[in-house]
Amino acid sequence: MKDTLENFELAIVAGNANASVDLADTIVRQGQATADEIFDHLAAAMEEVGSRYETGEYFIPEMLRSAEAVEKAMTVLEPYLFERRHEQAGIIVMGTVKGDIHNIGKNIIVSALRASGYEVHDLGVNVSTEKFINKVKETSADLLLLSAFTTSTKPALLDIIAALESEGMRGEVKVISGGASHSEDFAREIGVDGFATDVKSTLAICRSLTGA
Amino acid sequence: MNSRERFFSVLAGEIPDRVPVIPVVDGYFAPKIIGRDNDECFLDGICQAEALAASLARFGYDGAIAEMGLGDEPNVLGCPVEVEGNDVPLVVETLIAGREDIGKLKIPADSSAVATGGKLEPVRWLVEAVGAGQIVLGSVRSPFEYAATVRGLFDFMTDFYRDPELVRDLVAACIPATLAVGKALIEAGVDALVIKDSFASSSMISPDHYREFAWPAEVQAIGELGGLAPVVLHICRNSMPILEDMAKTGAAVLEIDSPVDLAAAKAAVGGRVVLKGNIDAAAVIEKGSLEDVEAAVRYAMSAAKAGGGFILSSGDSIPNSAPENNLTALVEAGKKYGKY
Repeated sequence: MKDTLENFELAIVAGNANASVDLADTIVRQGQATADEIFDHLAAAMEEVGSRYETGEYFIPEMLRSAEAVEKAMTVLEPYLFERRHEQAGIIVMGTVKGDIHNIGKNIIVSALRASGYEVHDLGVNVSTEKFINKVKETSADLLLLSAFTTSTKPALLDIIAALESEGMRGEVKVISGGASHSEDFAREIGVDGFATDVKSTLAICRSLTGA
Repeated sequence: MNSRERFFSVLAGEIPDRVPVIPVVDGYFAPKIIGRDNDECFLDGICQAEALAASLARFGYDGAIAEMGLGDEPNVLGCPVEVEGNDVPLVVETLIAGREDIGKLKIPADSSAVATGGKLEPVRWLVEAVGAGQIVLGSVRSPFEYAATVRGLFDFMTDFYRDPELVRDLVAACIPATLAVGKALIEAGVDALVIKDSFASSSMISPDHYREFAWPAEVQAIGELGGLAPVVLHICRNSMPILEDMAKTGAAVLEIDSPVDLAAAKAAVGGRVVLKGNIDAAAVIEKGSLEDVEAAVRYAMSAAKAGGGFILSSGDSIPNSAPENNLTALVEAGKKYGKY
């Protein structure tokens, strides 16, 4: 099983979607890996991909290739992971904020959250404040996850927080913002309840804010 | 010398009276000079033209850039674009889900197809407004950039490994669009063309992928358009790894951004092409002090002015929130430190 998980991690780093799907299938058939073990290897793979991007070995197409390997593997793994977290962990509304069309990270995190037992309403990209607010109301969401790749999305993020406050909803939903450029300072400036920069930190902050 | 004489003197390999100053002032910054929002001017070409002309007159740089909604629309290929307030325009629907959709693209057959509906009237208006002493640069997307736009950038770049043949075919299909828009802008009176290929930057794709997918189409487009007007090839962010390739496209001018070491660029290609750049539009012009702007200009001149072949510019579009005083400082420092 250990070899399978390590090879799974390598397949994702290499961006080999065929191999990642085959190995995901093997993981499911072997039935021994825990959800935490799978997510740990997933996180390690994405961390290595990120590191190669920082050093200039990988560029955006290579990162997308690895992201595709993750997404395809997750369609195989989601039911397996969900079985191991069968209590519903909470309701999440998620989307990329207005003015931003990045969706790779968001899509991976949506898969990971569903596999972790959350009911996730993915609103897509370039989502207006109004759409976020309406969906949170409609679903009585526990968490609102805002994907924002660059710091130029700050006005959109502030607008959402202000809208939650003026609707009297701010105390009823926890807000998490995330993206590669996020930092603690940035999150504090916006006024969110938490921030995350990758799958692992997103799962951890969601768990801590919902008690799941 | 007037601005026109100065610009063409540099392109001819001569030493002008001073370095021309042509910052990238376009539809992100200019509308506020006439008290309008960006979305108004994006949707109304005459508004855009008035803003660009007013900005040129206010700040006294050497040329206007006809960009953003003024002959350079993503929806020239039928892509619906949304713009709101001062936000960046976004393509909200892509056209190419697969290879079978390439044939459905509305590629303009020639320049007259681009000019329908009075689309180029704002360009003609701008050319007339700036007058014979100054220049207008028309702006058009490269075939690679058009291809990425109609496919969706992330799907397009995933295709590099998933279906490279689709990438090549789609880029090739978009070459006529660059040619048609470029020729239309030239017929409308622009003095030079900026071909934008920003998705081909080494900040986004590897140099090998640039050479495989973007460069051949650049060469073909510049080969044809360069015979009609000087071409400025713009690739923002880091273009140092591909600078030699860019210099071989046939472009008269390479527009480079702040991550590029200007002195190194001058040493590498300065004898063969004109360099335009590369003051940091965000860190210096938007967020810097007046002293920062002057220092950046002084450095740029020390790195690239000697021997001619240099146009002072921002590395990329000046953001909407950049202080007007900083643009004034850029132009004044350019005139002060750019004298030969």
